[in-house]
Amino acid sequence: MRQMLVVYRRELGAYFKTPIAYIFVPLFVSVLALFVFKIDLFFELNRADMRNFFRYVPYFVMVFAPAITMRLWAEELRSGTAELLMTLPFHSWELVVGKFLAAWTILALTLLCTLGAAAAIAYAGDPDWAPIIGGYLGALFMGSVFIALGAFVSSFTKDQVVALLVSLVAGFFLCVVLSEYFPMWFGIRDTNFARVIEQIGVRSHYVSIERGVLSLRDFVYFATCTAFLLALNVFRVQARRY
Amino acid sequence: MSLGPASGPAAGAAPLISVTELHKSYGATRAVDGVSFQVARGQIRGFLGPNGAGKSTTIKIITGYLAADAGSVRVAGIDVAEEPIEARKRIGYLPESLPLYQEMRVDEYLQFIAKSRRMERRGAAQRIAEVMALLGLERMKKRLTGSLSKGYRQRLGLAQAILHDPDILILDEPTNGLDPQQIIEIRALLVRLAATKAILFSTHILQEISAVCSQIMIIRDGRLVADGTPAELAAAPGSERDWEIVISGTEEMPYADLDALGIGTPAGSDLAEGGRVYRFRRASELDIAVLGGRVTRTGRRLIEARRATRTLEQVYLELMGVGAKGAA
Repeated sequence: MRQMLVVYRRELGAYFKTPIAYIFVPLFVSVLALFVFKIDLFFELNRADMRNFFRYVPYFVMVFAPAITMRLWAEELRSGTAELLMTLPFHSWELVVGKFLAAWTILALTLLCTLGAAAAIAYAGDPDWAPIIGGYLGALFMGSVFIALGAFVSSFTKDQVVALLVSLVAGFFLCVVLSEYFPMWFGIRDTNFARVIEQIGVRSHYVSIERGVLSLRDFVYFATCTAFLLALNVFRVQARRY
Repeated sequence: MSLGPASGPAAGAAPLISVTELHKSYGATRAVDGVSFQVARGQIRGFLGPNGAGKSTTIKIITGYLAADAGSVRVAGIDVAEEPIEARKRIGYLPESLPLYQEMRVDEYLQFIAKSRRMERRGAAQRIAEVMALLGLERMKKRLTGSLSKGYRQRLGLAQAILHDPDILILDEPTNGLDPQQIIEIRALLVRLAATKAILFSTHILQEISAVCSQIMIIRDGRLVADGTPAELAAAPGSERDWEIVISGTEEMPYADLDALGIGTPAGSDLAEGGRVYRFRRASELDIAVLGGRVTRTGRRLIEARRATRTLEQVYLELMGVGAKGAA
């Protein structure tokens, strides 16, 4: 546990010692704000809630997570520090979890930055806070899946751009393809197969959260997906030795 | 700063690094093919070989970065495949790739290593100061590692490897990129460290090996082709000896005259002071009085006859199959 925190702190430090945090976080927050306030005309909707905001969140996380995870392993492999890291007395899981938590922290900080929107709503009206808190919680959990996915992908390549693109595609698959769209495209809506496909995808588990309904099932889904991807990442790191 | 006793009652007497019948292939390429050797405390073992011969792969297996296909590695009596964490705690490793986190400052980097090595805070601060002083890094303390010159990067890499005062030091090309003075300093440091440690280091600088190593091994195509002390390697293979004789006359002797000397065909000859030097190899002893008489009968004088020791360069080139049977 202590060793995992050593990895976590170094990794988190790296985000703030390089321009990544300073570029991606404001970018993410401002584009999201642009969508909510300008394109969706939040003020003209005259509704004191954040449903539109949360409707965009999965897609933004889908794009943003690969940007913060692309360097996690690829940079170590490119610069040769992987050789140092993997010959220091760390267990593979300590490396994997430490890195995951650092990237997740960046995502959490970014979501924190969007609280300004919540403040604006509180100023404009009298919002129901439960769905807002639930929405943020859901976003964090959903985000963990994308972070774990991006970290896993990053452990396959020395090239951050490759890591970025592959995790974007994988995230798109998980979020958009495995959703109501897939059955729609293939004309198999309302079949059992379609329902299974939807349940595998991330999007369907966020829909109810978007509407302000928190169900344990969805959180269990996010946690399970994350744990599964982290386990794959541990296997991948160990397999690099062979 | 000892890391506690090595496990096993016989650990003190046993070699600190013990490599047995190591095999590793990448696809169809056999990178390491049955390598075995040991390094005891107090030894510096030099690891020599051309690029791609299997040096780095062997080193990466010992340090636990790669897994072997077959064979075993024990460090301080611990099997690196069975107890990787315990084994890694006892090794200090400087990879060839110089693994520095560019965004960290020199002291931050060493603090990170100290924490990774589970050193306690106060002991770590003192040890970091000590190691920085030892390697002349104090002035660079607050510099980003990414902005250091090659020499300082190399020294920081070495600082990282010795920080936890390991029993075993494994250095992949440690003097790469250093200037001559730094090379001399680092060599002196290694010799000092070797008193209490087992050191394995690879290089392709031949003088380096003869300057610091007590044992030398040479690897080619994944196999050890030589293993011994510098003196053992310098001796000709088997019972053969290399000789150099100097005979008066600047013209090369005709074949008939050379035949009459009864030394076989020399490998080559060169101009030397007072005449020409002829080099040859023979298994039996050379009777200099007899040879002198035969030389005189050809109308020349035998000026000098000496046993030639081969330089490490010659041994190396011979083992690599690159010409040079003693010819200059």
